[in-house]
Amino acid sequence: MRRLIKIAAREYIAYVRTVGFWLSMLALPLGMGLVLGASGYMEASAPAPALVLIDQTPGQTFGPLVARKFSDGPGGRPRADIVDPPVALPSDPRAIGAALKPWLTGDLKLEGKRKLAAAFVIHGQGEAIAIDVWTDNPLLSSTETVRTVVSGQMERSRLEAAGVSPALLLEAAALKPTVTDFSPKTSEKASLLNRLPGVIGFGAAMLLWSVIFTGAGILLNGVIEEKSSKVLEVLLSSATVPEILFGKILGVAGVTFTVLGVWGTVGTILMNVFAPDVAGDVGKVLMGGGLIFYFAFYLAAGYLMYASIFTAIGAFCETTREAQTLLGPIMILLTIPVIFLSQALRRPDTPALEIMSWIPLFTPFMMTARAASGPPLWQVLGTGILMLATVALVVWIAGRAFRAGALSTGKVDFKGLVARLRGGE
Amino acid sequence: MDAALSLDHVTKRYGDFTAVNDLSFAARQGRILGFLGPNGAGKTSTLRMVLGLSSPTSGTLSVLGAPDGRPVRDRIGFLPEERGLYRRMTPVEAIVFLAGLKGLPAPEARRRARQMLEEQGLGAAQNRQIRNLSKGMAQKVQLIAAIAHRPELVILDEPFSGLDPVNQQTLESMIRNLARDGATVVFSTHVMQHAERLCDHVVLLAGGRKAFDGSVAEAKARAPRALVLEGMLEAAAAAALPGVAAVATAPLDGGGQRQTCALEAQASGQEALKSAFAQGLDIQRFELREPSLHDAFIVLTGTAPDQMEVAA
Repeated sequence: MRRLIKIAAREYIAYVRTVGFWLSMLALPLGMGLVLGASGYMEASAPAPALVLIDQTPGQTFGPLVARKFSDGPGGRPRADIVDPPVALPSDPRAIGAALKPWLTGDLKLEGKRKLAAAFVIHGQGEAIAIDVWTDNPLLSSTETVRTVVSGQMERSRLEAAGVSPALLLEAAALKPTVTDFSPKTSEKASLLNRLPGVIGFGAAMLLWSVIFTGAGILLNGVIEEKSSKVLEVLLSSATVPEILFGKILGVAGVTFTVLGVWGTVGTILMNVFAPDVAGDVGKVLMGGGLIFYFAFYLAAGYLMYASIFTAIGAFCETTREAQTLLGPIMILLTIPVIFLSQALRRPDTPALEIMSWIPLFTPFMMTARAASGPPLWQVLGTGILMLATVALVVWIAGRAFRAGALSTGKVDFKGLVARLRGGE
Repeated sequence: MDAALSLDHVTKRYGDFTAVNDLSFAARQGRILGFLGPNGAGKTSTLRMVLGLSSPTSGTLSVLGAPDGRPVRDRIGFLPEERGLYRRMTPVEAIVFLAGLKGLPAPEARRRARQMLEEQGLGAAQNRQIRNLSKGMAQKVQLIAAIAHRPELVILDEPFSGLDPVNQQTLESMIRNLARDGATVVFSTHVMQHAERLCDHVVLLAGGRKAFDGSVAEAKARAPRALVLEGMLEAAAAAALPGVAAVATAPLDGGGQRQTCALEAQASGQEALKSAFAQGLDIQRFELREPSLHDAFIVLTGTAPDQMEVAA
């Protein structure tokens, strides 16, 4: 145990002392802060698009309704700014676009150096109303707003013509059903708390995947460096293979979980400050029913299984190029769970996910993602036992492979690899 | 005196290849044993079995009383043939870490590391990263790391390879000091001169088999003395001298030839030389040479001299 801890401590310190560690520690919070800050700033600072609105219909009933809708945006900010046409417009709707072209294409600017985002021309009469939209931005959301307002008004006109009173129409428009989500488990109203396990399960599965990917990558590179710099033989003469293997795995796990711990702490603090209700619900979900221990079990077993595989592969390679050849099949395997994880969020009990839960290499991801649906106990126990047996087998093989690889020289082909695994040296 | 290390009919096979064949020898406590042989003779395979890094196919070992080095690894110091240290560590950190694995507490390991680095002229380099040290300096650091915990058995696999003559002398001195302090030192080499200067006991290995096991003097006694004659003389004339068993001829740069005459066991070099002068042979230089361990190795193993490397 003494040697295992010393090896783990050396691994941990070796990585913590690198610039890369601190960069990766800061990368996520800084990146998220930048993304959130930038999108918030863009949202707040972006001016409402300038629009020209021409209502050529008899009575011009649509124009004021559309203008009112645009003036009433989220947070009291206008959705769009209706401006006067910068030039006298012809009466032919089709000619209006040509008249406004220099402003619509940005060759000329409106007052305040703003670009004209679009021109809406509502024309026609009766039930043959048309909306011509002149814009070079096909994704402009204002178009849908205009269509919805005009469509609603046409519907009201038809109903009024059929004898429905305007007062009744207003009352009818105000009618809305009360929709209530109920949880079948608690028979009570569903809240965010009911949806959280699914989200947390999905998040935990993705977390496990990223921990394996980053942790195993660090391990692989570390072992390759030790192999190429001939340190492994010295280590093997000073400690047992399990001490070296688990020491390295523990050390790198420490590195990975330090980063996650810092991120988690920062996230928890921020959530408690800005969304204390959500933070409380997350805490209830994780602590209630021992879900946190369920996640921890799969996280530990999954990490151990893949870390052992990657460490053993590293022991056979002196360069990352050599490692890539051996890693190919493992990387393909690791991408399969990701494809299915998003399914687990919506339909955690689909047969495909249940079947994949029984494949030990996928068990940690699938069972973590399925946590929300409360898989049957026999499935939890069965897949857990199968996975633990596989972990034990993988660790045993990895130990032999590590020893054989550490003492080998030169390139190892597949036949040589199998022979060394069978011989253990 | 008890044996710190003994092998009894040890064989190691890798598939169809026999790396070590029925090898038996013992290294006595507090002595320096040279484990000699050309590259590929089975030296590293043997040392790995001693350390417990691989298992013998047959035969038994005793390492400080244990069946291999694993149970007593804290009492063994090992310098592998292929050297390596963590490149981003400083010498002190590397020594403290490796000595720590052998059970030496960190404060004591740090004290010894600094002292030993100073003694080896590496005091100024003790806080530089190993990747910034020369190969010779890094090799010294690794040797210090192997012995900082004061092991009872020190195993050095080709410790002199890659070192310049000055560092080779320094290393020889360190090995002598280890033995003087009571450690048993086993080192492998294919350079006979180091073994000749250092060893109490040598084991010669060729093709995985033991060719000789005894003292340096006993090994050298197996090789013939030689009379070396340089001048304008033919090999046939040299071969006809009394007591000469065989002659090896080599051309000299300035013209003429060197005739190295191997003498028969009871022959007198003086008589052969007298006879040469009496015959009026053109001799510009002569030397009556005692056999070296290198000569002994050739006789004992049948390995051609061009398969051996000459010491720097």
